[in-house]
Amino acid sequence: MLLRLLVIGALLTIASLAYVWWSSRQGRVHQVIAAAALTSADLGISPGARGTVVVFSTPLCAKCPGTKAMLARVIEDYEGVAQAEIDAAARLDIARRFDIMRTPTVLVLNANGVAVARMDGAPTAVQAREAIDALPPLSGYSI
Amino acid sequence: MTTADRQIDPRGPRLGAFVPLTLSIVALVLGPGLGAIVIFAILVALFLPGAIVGPQATAQGWVFRTFIRPRLGPPAATESFRPPRFAQQVGLVFSAAALLFAVADVSLGFFVFAGFLTFAAFLQGVFDFCLGCEMYLLLKRATTRAA
Repeated sequence: MLLRLLVIGALLTIASLAYVWWSSRQGRVHQVIAAAALTSADLGISPGARGTVVVFSTPLCAKCPGTKAMLARVIEDYEGVAQAEIDAAARLDIARRFDIMRTPTVLVLNANGVAVARMDGAPTAVQAREAIDALPPLSGYSI
Repeated sequence: MTTADRQIDPRGPRLGAFVPLTLSIVALVLGPGLGAIVIFAILVALFLPGAIVGPQATAQGWVFRTFIRPRLGPPAATESFRPPRFAQQVGLVFSAAALLFAVADVSLGFFVFAGFLTFAAFLQGVFDFCLGCEMYLLLKRATTRAA
């Protein structure tokens, strides 16, 4: 009896530690080096003049709707940045190409569709801004 | 609103997870035997409507709507019923496996699946973390051949 209670306690402690580790990693902004590109056919929209944020979701992703709504608010502050969504479960080819392991994963693409930053797991608005700031400024904007 | 885009209060499935969490901990303490068989038969019956229809059809969902929701304010956000329904399906599979191992008196199998259920229900209830939903894309990637 006591041994079993101790084992259950250990199991739940491990679950808690795993969750803390997982949530500390989620949304962290990574710079992407030498990544593949996505075309407007992949995105279903024409990319933004400055760039595009792409949310990888699945129909079973609980945090994706919140992430999509947050990104839609954030990109209002950026000129020439569009937003797209890809169902990773339906487009496993793209999910494999970009090594999407979890949803939501957000890629920030430049004007040519090349990924410059990514966030695995639901980002905060601050993390989303940090990732979008990795985009080069709109070229020819001041002319 | 159609079932295709039915939105639910996410606090319902989260609170509901404490039922399988409590019951599976009791079953783990009891060990495989008549008590654990009864508990997992109850859990299978509880998960079944949630796995087929969705979390709004579970007994916990009914308790939440009838007694708890009226005392709470509106939720910060609603969510699709699909992720928690998938979680109920995962719970059903784990519970049914634990039940079968308990009936067959295979202790190891019983403890593994009852332990899985406790682990997942704990994460869902305490941290609002849907383990099955996180595993979904990985499972899909692992089980579908490259195009």
